[in-house]
Amino acid sequence: MIGVLAAIGAPVLAGLAAIGRLARFAAAAVAALLRPPWYPGQLAQQMLIIGWLSLPVVGLTAIFTGSALAQQIFIGGSRFNAAATVPAVTVIGVVRELGPVLGGLMVAGRVASAMAAELGTMRVTEQIDALVTLRTDPFRWLVAPRLLAAVLVMPALVLVSNALGVMGGWLLATQRLGFNSAQYLATTARYLQIDDVVSSLVKAAVFGFFIALMGCYHGYHSGGGAAGVGRATTNAVVSSFILILLSNLIITVIVFGS
Amino acid sequence: MTPSIALSGVAKRFGRRHVLDGVDLAVQPGTSLVIIGGSGTGKSVLLKSILGLIPIDAGSIRVDGQEVAGLRGAALAAHRTRIGMLFQGGALFDSLSVWRNISFALGGSAANRRAVAIDNLARVGLGAEVADLKPSELSGGMLKRVALARAIAARPPILFFDEPTTGLDPINAAKINNLIRTLVKDLKITALTITHDMTSVRVIADKVAMLHAGRIIWQGPLAALDGCDNAYVRQFVTGSAEGPISGLVAS
Repeated sequence: MIGVLAAIGAPVLAGLAAIGRLARFAAAAVAALLRPPWYPGQLAQQMLIIGWLSLPVVGLTAIFTGSALAQQIFIGGSRFNAAATVPAVTVIGVVRELGPVLGGLMVAGRVASAMAAELGTMRVTEQIDALVTLRTDPFRWLVAPRLLAAVLVMPALVLVSNALGVMGGWLLATQRLGFNSAQYLATTARYLQIDDVVSSLVKAAVFGFFIALMGCYHGYHSGGGAAGVGRATTNAVVSSFILILLSNLIITVIVFGS
Repeated sequence: MTPSIALSGVAKRFGRRHVLDGVDLAVQPGTSLVIIGGSGTGKSVLLKSILGLIPIDAGSIRVDGQEVAGLRGAALAAHRTRIGMLFQGGALFDSLSVWRNISFALGGSAANRRAVAIDNLARVGLGAEVADLKPSELSGGMLKRVALARAIAARPPILFFDEPTTGLDPINAAKINNLIRTLVKDLKITALTITHDMTSVRVIADKVAMLHAGRIIWQGPLAALDGCDNAYVRQFVTGSAEGPISGLVAS
């Protein structure tokens, strides 16, 4: 009986301890954001890396997904004479869900892994220790700029992703499905509500926070040489994917559940 | 005279393994002390404990008379301004140029910091043409020199050297050893070096201490090292496979 309890209790306790460590790390990172010194150069560099350099992958994902969504809605809608709903459903689907979620997942794959690898390498090559000996708080120099940059640029990236996703749907609908361009855009504008855009941007900021947090957390606590850095990178991507999907569900239920 | 560094009963445990088990040691101002010992005997842990990077479980660490154990925040940062550190692999920041690495902890305008960096590059035998390179563009010997320039840039009164010649060929290792000796002498620095390279010991050390099984088992002037009758020290100095030091230790 005790053996069974121990078998259940040990992983539960380990899981709680991991959540506690992550919460402490997040609190320290947010606290580092609020206290000087700040490093605007580091922030600008991270905004460039996370935002500008992610644009191609996020943009392409949005265009292809928006187009595929329009095609699927057209095929599905045709089964019950609702093919005309393509512009309305595409814009709602893209702005509420696909734009932020797929954009978040693509950025997580690109950025969380890079952050974990960079910080992990800095950890195993003692660069983080060197920072400390040079009187620089690694949370302020490394973690806080990445966290703030991700929270700031993700909404902008998702705005672009939404626009390109809708454009992908419009392109396919007008070029292949026979929709009138002006009518398509007018219907899109009529069904797009401010709540959709706001929820999309809120999701983007939350996803940005989790992407940077997971990348930094796993990289910062990396150990065990190259294999350890590899594990940190994998863990950063997987955990940020899970947190993006979980937080997306929670925000969707809160904003649109009623 | 108050020692620059004084350790008393310093203990540190990782899990069930006692890495440091009551270390007593004193380093007088202006002295170069080299700690020798096998791999995994806690030499790096000792340095990092003095720097406040690793908290100790018991004992006392005093730097210039001030207790270090338990220091936090601004007091700990102030303590670290007294110590420069040359890390084993250099630990230069990959994303920054050489001059930005060297002047990382310095204040002032960029032009001023760059000038100071170039001045320190000259001290370690490198020219200004290296200043704008990235660490990935440097050879092993140059990388160690740049790391050394960074360690001395703020002119700390104490310098730590963690395995300064690891990964270098014999010629570059000799150059680094001579450089360390010259800098320690010229800048009147208290130096604490950890190494298992006996050539380094003979060039760098005024005094030598041996760390084994978590304790300092022998210490004395360099001149006494070869005549020492401690079996552990003798085995280490001669590099013999036969003797009281037997197994490999996990790091």
